[in-house]
Amino acid sequence: MAKQIIVGIADMKMARQQGVLITYALGSCIGIALYDPMIKLGTLVHIMLPELGTMADKNPYKYADTGLRETIRKMTAFGGVKNRMRAKIAGGARMFEMKGGHDLGNIGERNAMNVKKILREQGIRIVGEDTGANYARTMSMDVSDGKVTIKTFGRPEITM
Amino acid sequence: MGIEKYEDMSALEMDVIKEIGSIGTGNAATALSQVLKKRTKMSLPDVYILGYNEAIEMVGTPEEIVAAVLVKMSGEINGIMLFVLKMDFINAVLSSVLSKKIEDYMDLTELEKSALEEIGNIIISSYVNAMSGLTGVRINLSIPSIAINMLGGILSVPMVEFGYVTDKLMMINGKFIVDDKVLNSNLLMMPDIESLNYLMHKLGVD
Repeated sequence: MAKQIIVGIADMKMARQQGVLITYALGSCIGIALYDPMIKLGTLVHIMLPELGTMADKNPYKYADTGLRETIRKMTAFGGVKNRMRAKIAGGARMFEMKGGHDLGNIGERNAMNVKKILREQGIRIVGEDTGANYARTMSMDVSDGKVTIKTFGRPEITM
Repeated sequence: MGIEKYEDMSALEMDVIKEIGSIGTGNAATALSQVLKKRTKMSLPDVYILGYNEAIEMVGTPEEIVAAVLVKMSGEINGIMLFVLKMDFINAVLSSVLSKKIEDYMDLTELEKSALEEIGNIIISSYVNAMSGLTGVRINLSIPSIAINMLGGILSVPMVEFGYVTDKLMMINGKFIVDDKVLNSNLLMMPDIESLNYLMHKLGVD
């Protein structure tokens, strides 16, 4: 089996030609797998929140906007070309159904919306998506062919 | 004044938090012993300030399936109470309340899930009521909600909730001991930073 490279929460990893990028148990967070098939360059980023807040934050990968921009910049620096890149996204769930008017949990939906908006602005096409619902997802990408696998609890595995 | 980051808490403040936590856990243990009709204690609480990935490691592994009951605190204290139950705890509850045992999380029926949700609610409410009584702060609790899923996804909920103010989670953690056996469960109290400052101010620690 190819070498696994673990992507933590609010983290990004890159691989070329071979290796499997994996991030565990995305809840309301989103995993974004970007792939340039021509040079087999792939990244997986695990963001938590839709946009950079007011907190002085040194970690760009915590937010969809700064995280995606930094990831695309890094990929470009390693020879990736934006109009060849394809995106696959997963996560954005609502883990707890909150009754009684608490808005806790909506963040997953906002994360998904903002990730899609940013990718559209960057001109990167989304070719696979598994977002929403109420369960966590483990997402992995095989960098040799760009295939993404989604594992969940009690549901069949998805390949996209 | 007050702190801006969890890491800024002094040793004295940490001790105060621990003390408040132990009043809560004491009360929660009494509530559980009434439900289970068994001798129930809680360990002295530990206070952890951890980064995202470390916080998951403290409770288990990211892909591990657990049951979790979440209640949101609002009012003068804002934060999240999360009760993470693993298989042995679930079976301790199900065997004494519904006289049955399960092997797998998939086997949980809707009835059993609501039983667990309600017991989680009782434990959390008695914890928070004790804390509120001791400190004189007003705390409102949301309706409980249960999820059976991967631990990582469940713990991302408090991380995201406080994500705009902190990179760390503060967890005040207690474990249940039923008939001298430590059960695999974690009762986590996670206040936000502003609430901690308010609490310290109210108690005259700052």
